[in-house]
Amino acid sequence: MPETPPPAVTADPGAPSGPVTLRGGDLPWRTVAPQLATVRLITLAVVLAVPLLATVVVALLVTPWVWLGTLGLVLLGAWGAWLISRQVSAISWVELDEELVIRKGRLFRSLVSVPYGRLQYVDIQSGPLARAFGIASCEIHTASPESGGSLPGLPTEEAEALRARLAARGETQRAGL
Amino acid sequence: MTTPGGAPDGIGTVQDSEDVDGWQRLHPLSPLLRGGVVLIAVLGYAVSRLVDSVLSSLDPTAEPDTGADYELAWTSHPLLALGALVVVIAAVAAVGWVSWRFSRFRVAAGQVELRTGVLFRQHRQVRLERVQAVETTRPLLARLVGLSQVVVQSAGGSDSHLTLAFLGADRAEEVRAHLLELAGRSDEAARPGMPPAAEHDPGVPVGATPRAPAVEPPPLVVVPNGRLFVATILHGSTIVLGVILLGAAVTVGVAEAGLAVLAGAPALLPVVFGLGVSRVKELLVHGNFSIARTGTALRVRHGLTDLRVSTVPVHRVQAVEVLQPLWWRPWGWWRVRVNVAGVHGGDNDDDETVMLPVGTADEALTVLAALGAHPEDPVLLEALHGAGGEHGWVGPPRVARWLDPWSWRRTGYALAEHAVYLRTGRFTRRTVVVPHARIQSLGLAQGPLQQRLGLASARLVSTPGPVGPDVPHLAQADAEELLELVGRRAREARRLAGHPLAPGHAPLVDFPQNDPRT
Repeated sequence: MPETPPPAVTADPGAPSGPVTLRGGDLPWRTVAPQLATVRLITLAVVLAVPLLATVVVALLVTPWVWLGTLGLVLLGAWGAWLISRQVSAISWVELDEELVIRKGRLFRSLVSVPYGRLQYVDIQSGPLARAFGIASCEIHTASPESGGSLPGLPTEEAEALRARLAARGETQRAGL
Repeated sequence: MTTPGGAPDGIGTVQDSEDVDGWQRLHPLSPLLRGGVVLIAVLGYAVSRLVDSVLSSLDPTAEPDTGADYELAWTSHPLLALGALVVVIAAVAAVGWVSWRFSRFRVAAGQVELRTGVLFRQHRQVRLERVQAVETTRPLLARLVGLSQVVVQSAGGSDSHLTLAFLGADRAEEVRAHLLELAGRSDEAARPGMPPAAEHDPGVPVGATPRAPAVEPPPLVVVPNGRLFVATILHGSTIVLGVILLGAAVTVGVAEAGLAVLAGAPALLPVVFGLGVSRVKELLVHGNFSIARTGTALRVRHGLTDLRVSTVPVHRVQAVEVLQPLWWRPWGWWRVRVNVAGVHGGDNDDDETVMLPVGTADEALTVLAALGAHPEDPVLLEALHGAGGEHGWVGPPRVARWLDPWSWRRTGYALAEHAVYLRTGRFTRRTVVVPHARIQSLGLAQGPLQQRLGLASARLVSTPGPVGPDVPHLAQADAEELLELVGRRAREARRLAGHPLAPGHAPLVDFPQNDPRT
């Protein structure tokens, strides 16, 4: 029977407090870098460019009816662009005393609250395009694949700093599996 | 380019080819081996063709290769072919070299880190105390060149493994031993007085010696095969099938139309067959079931034809589910399943996740007690039998009936001292117990319909397994409150668990003797 009391977890004096809510709220929610939207827009443009070009060529050479397809693709692109801007602006996160909380989505909202003590490991990932815009994504893994959160679109230095902070807090607040 | 020659050539030490920060490189052949058989086959083929054409064109007296007609024209010139060969080899070597240069790992500051990738960079780190097991494996190709890979397993599933591929065989063993030693030390520190887990424990860290119990303890529960047989037949699918067949038989007796139904019967055969197979398999797997307690583990014996014994250390159990299909209710039967850390919810893991295939309420409570729950707790009984509205239970508001017309009344959660109780299902009753200390993380989700109705679903995330602790369709404020309340309990439980001397690895729900408050 251990006699020593468990150590009090040191809380930052200036740490944010308040209820975690699905939307709004008093906590200092932080948003991700707007470059993420740019990166996703470029990806979308690249994906759509080829079929768009194909429809234009076919429309010019074969039949003007294919312009309908072009129109469809343009509308699809516009809708995608709108969606991306909405999605990216809906991602917000906050570091609490003992948890990292990530909120995502507007139509389908989700919130995940990952205790630092449960972190198994943290990945930093960045593709060439993301790197060109100086952003990286921070993937958080716990013992359960479904509870990991990913935090895309952090400035690279911030992602690295976050990783270091998470690792340090994971160490001091470590809690079994 | 900096040469790796700056590193001391201490062959056989863990420190070789180490740079300033302790980063070490993998074996230079690794990128080639990671490319796998296909890459090597393609390369080998291309190179052999090129060499072939170089040789044949250098030797004018040689008979023209029968395949020469198919050769591309440019390969017929020896210099061009030679050049192409050199370029290909150089390109592969360059890509491999760059890839090798960018793959580094280190063991430092209590964690293993691996950096890979040139274009898509990845940096993965696993804390040593998170390491469940370290193994070295030797795929065929690697074996041919005497290399091994070290797989560092943590609890998050195969995605979360950190693979050091490849290292020289000796080196791999050294790294493994080194990691085991380090991980073992932190594991020991975290688990004082905990006897090593038994031999079937998939995640036994590191050199824990298997220990067989001297005396076989008497089983807690033995499931009679007759009851199992009845329970297996009483399954939704067999009942639906029975009703269809009965209906057909009746209509055959009553009217001509029945013949048409009968004529359609062969179409049902595959369904019947599949069903039969699944039922028989269930019977084979869970036959002769008995569960016993050995120290800190539960020993489950089962199998009608081939007896299997699995040992589930209680401290690895993350969540418990007790469920009762509608058809079992007249008999008062229940099934108990668990999520076990390190065991994933595939079909073949049935033997380690079912703690009681079918049992009476008393037997289910016995098993729950063995798993550490408190069977005398009135909340548990409410969780099993309650229909909704009990004191202390928080459930969905009335408006949730639009999304869940049957079960919204029964759905809910209640907080007990050591665990959260969840219940759902009006027909198939489901009760989940998750100890505060075992909650991985918490989540909320809200779809568009829920948004309109002001509802949100909460989820207490557990490790992978058959049990999914969810509370659907709570009022949004209640869901946020759950996050707050359960979060606070989980925090307190983690503080106890995080302390190296606290009973952090105590069984599921703390046994009274492990509870520092008693």
